[in-house]
Amino acid sequence: MEVLKVENLEFSYGKRRILNSLNFTVNEGEICGLLGPNGCGKTTLLKCINRILNPESGKIKINGQDTSCLSRNKIAEIIAVVPQELHVVFSFTVLQIILMGGTIRYGLSGIPSKKDYLRAYEILEELDIEHLASRQYNELSGGEKQLILIARALFQNAPIMLLDEPTSHLDFKRQHQIMEVIKKITVSRGITSLITLHDPNIAARYCNRLIMLNRGEIFHQGLRESIFHKKSLESIYDMKIKIERTPSGVNYVFPEPETLPQ
Amino acid sequence: MSFLNLKRFRNKKSLPFIIVILLIAAAIITALTTGHYYISPDQLFKIITAKISGKAPGSDLATPTIVLWSIRLPRVIMALIAGAALAVGGVVFQSIMKNPLVSPSFLGVSHGAVFGASISIIFLSKAAISIEASAFFWAITAVTLAYVIGNRGINTLTTLVIAGVIVSTFFMASASLLKYIADPYDELPAIVFWTMGGLNNVLWIHVIRASIIIGTGIAFIYAFRGKLNLMALGDEEALSMGISVKSLRIRFILFATLIVAAANSSCGIIMWVDLIVAHLARGIVGADHKRLIPFAALTGALFLLVTDTVVRNIPGGEIPISIITSFMGAPLLAYLLTKQNKQWR
Repeated sequence: MEVLKVENLEFSYGKRRILNSLNFTVNEGEICGLLGPNGCGKTTLLKCINRILNPESGKIKINGQDTSCLSRNKIAEIIAVVPQELHVVFSFTVLQIILMGGTIRYGLSGIPSKKDYLRAYEILEELDIEHLASRQYNELSGGEKQLILIARALFQNAPIMLLDEPTSHLDFKRQHQIMEVIKKITVSRGITSLITLHDPNIAARYCNRLIMLNRGEIFHQGLRESIFHKKSLESIYDMKIKIERTPSGVNYVFPEPETLPQ
Repeated sequence: MSFLNLKRFRNKKSLPFIIVILLIAAAIITALTTGHYYISPDQLFKIITAKISGKAPGSDLATPTIVLWSIRLPRVIMALIAGAALAVGGVVFQSIMKNPLVSPSFLGVSHGAVFGASISIIFLSKAAISIEASAFFWAITAVTLAYVIGNRGINTLTTLVIAGVIVSTFFMASASLLKYIADPYDELPAIVFWTMGGLNNVLWIHVIRASIIIGTGIAFIYAFRGKLNLMALGDEEALSMGISVKSLRIRFILFATLIVAAANSSCGIIMWVDLIVAHLARGIVGADHKRLIPFAALTGALFLLVTDTVVRNIPGGEIPISIITSFMGAPLLAYLLTKQNKQWR
């Protein structure tokens, strides 16, 4: 079932066009990867979908409903965001950060109830990070912070999750740990995820659907099996690429040495 | 998950609150009994019990009763509510600006108030009510102006702080101009003394007026304490969690400005309390506004009462309170800066 539909989306910062006539759909329960070089408009696209930025033209529909007609509250009910990083100036604890995810349910004061505390703790247990509950968020490692932000998005309890480069600052092991968590919660909760990624190997391993962007335009889109090939990747990264298939059937992408800058 | 664990995770530590409340009680007794006219604790107890029971105190207590009831008590209460207002104002401005070094004066509250007081002293009247009203009006005007100028562009927070600097500078220059043209024997000393702050002329009417405004403002801020947590994470985070950032920020700025302007207009400019106490309170109870706002209010009340008591008891006569708050505040902030090397609290 079609959950997210983007129609003729355009966005500019001043006179500089960032997104140019984007059209795509994402189905329920899919992990959709947004691939593309730096500056191609991936983060801007996520911000437009979440209405942090207002598109110049075009429509974003969630379950058939145009998001431009929805209040901030309503958008927060259906879309949860996991930012690339969260710079917290003041020292909040992990539990406080997670509880902020439920603000729309707390009423006027914005204060959580006992039930909310229990629910937040259950989510920490689900992600095996309950030992971090009373730690200061600022004192955590990059990988732990990402897990906390995912936990907060889960606590927000929205059917769509937008993740902005969730693996970009992480080591090899943590990258896969975070992606496994995303895969697990997508399956177990039926969440639809839209993830911007830099590493095509991560995209190939974890995403069902891919959208390949370059210079604000969609170059290729579709199910992973149909579009994850040499030519499509070369066209968005402007370099020669080699794909090798391992005996276990996983595709791995390598840059051709002669195209790397010397 | 057990109830005990839940209690632990809810992080309800009441010890700092108990300590500050006990210190406030001790500070109130000290402030009421000490000064140029000494009132013994025994006399204090007799006067209070007489007032509570509705009986007239004995003739030997006539003078202490007047000193206590007409001079010290309104002053002590004003120190408590003004201190609470400045501290809570500091917390709110720091949180909505996502900056631990911001104080209400960043958006022009203080300089607007000085300008307003100067206008009244030179052109209108030197009566306290006129100075207060003018200081209050211009403090609110300065912040409104900063908000109107700053509420543009992509990064509203940054432009807001820059607009605050612009408006503050403008009102500071205007106040300097007024000082330049003021009568050096009459008006200029009045402006300078008001600028340095003090609670020496506080009457019950000031206390009642300030209590209403400050009480309302702090009650509103506390009512929205949970949403202030999200504002402290930044605009995008708050928007993503379903908060209408712009309208909420306007409301927080309005009520924080109201309480700080009410304190400034009654007591003059009292420096450092907003910045220092907000910072200190965060360091002790953390950043969650559910605990931070009441704790900052109590700590601000304690800080200003202690400072005012020191000011009153300095040999050689009372000096403006900002001199003492600055002498206490600057080293305290330096200490906090060096201690909290890991993270701003």
